[in-house]
Amino acid sequence: MPSIVKNMVADTETLVTEKRNAKVKPSLIMVDNVEAGEDSELTFQDIFNTNASIVAATGLAAPAVVGQTVDRLRINVSDDACVSIRDELKDVKFLGGAQVLRTVLGALDPNVNCHVTLGYDLE
Amino acid sequence: MLELKPMPEATVSPGVPKLLQEGFFVRFTDQWPLTLPHVKGKTFQVEKTNQVPYDITRIIPAGNYCDVDMSNATGGENIYPENTKTLYETLLGFKLGNYLVHFYIPAGEYVHRLEQAGMVPNVASATLRYLGARKPEDSPYDDKRIFMYSVKDLEPLILRLLVDNGVLWEKMVLGLVVNKCYLKEISPTSEQLARAKKIDYYTELRW
Repeated sequence: MPSIVKNMVADTETLVTEKRNAKVKPSLIMVDNVEAGEDSELTFQDIFNTNASIVAATGLAAPAVVGQTVDRLRINVSDDACVSIRDELKDVKFLGGAQVLRTVLGALDPNVNCHVTLGYDLE
Repeated sequence: MLELKPMPEATVSPGVPKLLQEGFFVRFTDQWPLTLPHVKGKTFQVEKTNQVPYDITRIIPAGNYCDVDMSNATGGENIYPENTKTLYETLLGFKLGNYLVHFYIPAGEYVHRLEQAGMVPNVASATLRYLGARKPEDSPYDDKRIFMYSVKDLEPLILRLLVDNGVLWEKMVLGLVVNKCYLKEISPTSEQLARAKKIDYYTELRW
């Protein structure tokens, strides 16, 4: 089971890039917000490229999409707090890669003192 | 030429090989067409084998489908032999997900259908999408149970992958193991003929 730690130097940080023949199954998310100096809102996004397809009901073509994103998990972490999530992740999967966005009061906001750890399996 | 091997009811010891092996016999029925004279009605012994794994992946939205052509035609996945003395025994398994797989050979002609009029697979129908469809659980990625047999110039086998409702998108991972078999034609004895694996032409799957 690999893991990765990212400081939120940018408002969006890539955690895992897509492995084409596998999904990413997170097993641990830890957010260390002790030194951040403000509350953090973190959104974990799935990012992947889709293939061209056909809408079954209509027969219309649906084009391929590059960089499709889907929000998979959102948590708020108070200033001076450190939280970890493990059991709640059992139903969360990423089809492609995983990235995390940090916002404050809804606005994208990097903070180098907010640290995000992701442990995951590929399945 | 397309088989789903069911779960065994009992195990035997020593075990039976899952794949064709060197020295095994294969027999193509007389139903194979004249356009495939290199196999029609012939019996062969497998001289050598080589197993080649490969994965095919698609991500599409729910309610949509895409076709995967296994043949060597333009846009196909090139999983057919190019040599008339080669047989591909291809195992197919699926990683888990919310999707269904329909088989067509050639394009537009269903492999699995019932006899009553209208009882044919239809991905546009809320009910008939499940008719004749294989689910990932039917042939798990790590215990592949769908076997396909292809020779040079066989008509294209099409896999129609449909993401069922209930998710936004789905990633479908098809795991293949291509067992390349190099064949030597033989004039079989009655014993060899009895032991030979019979390979039907796809028209024999429909009646």
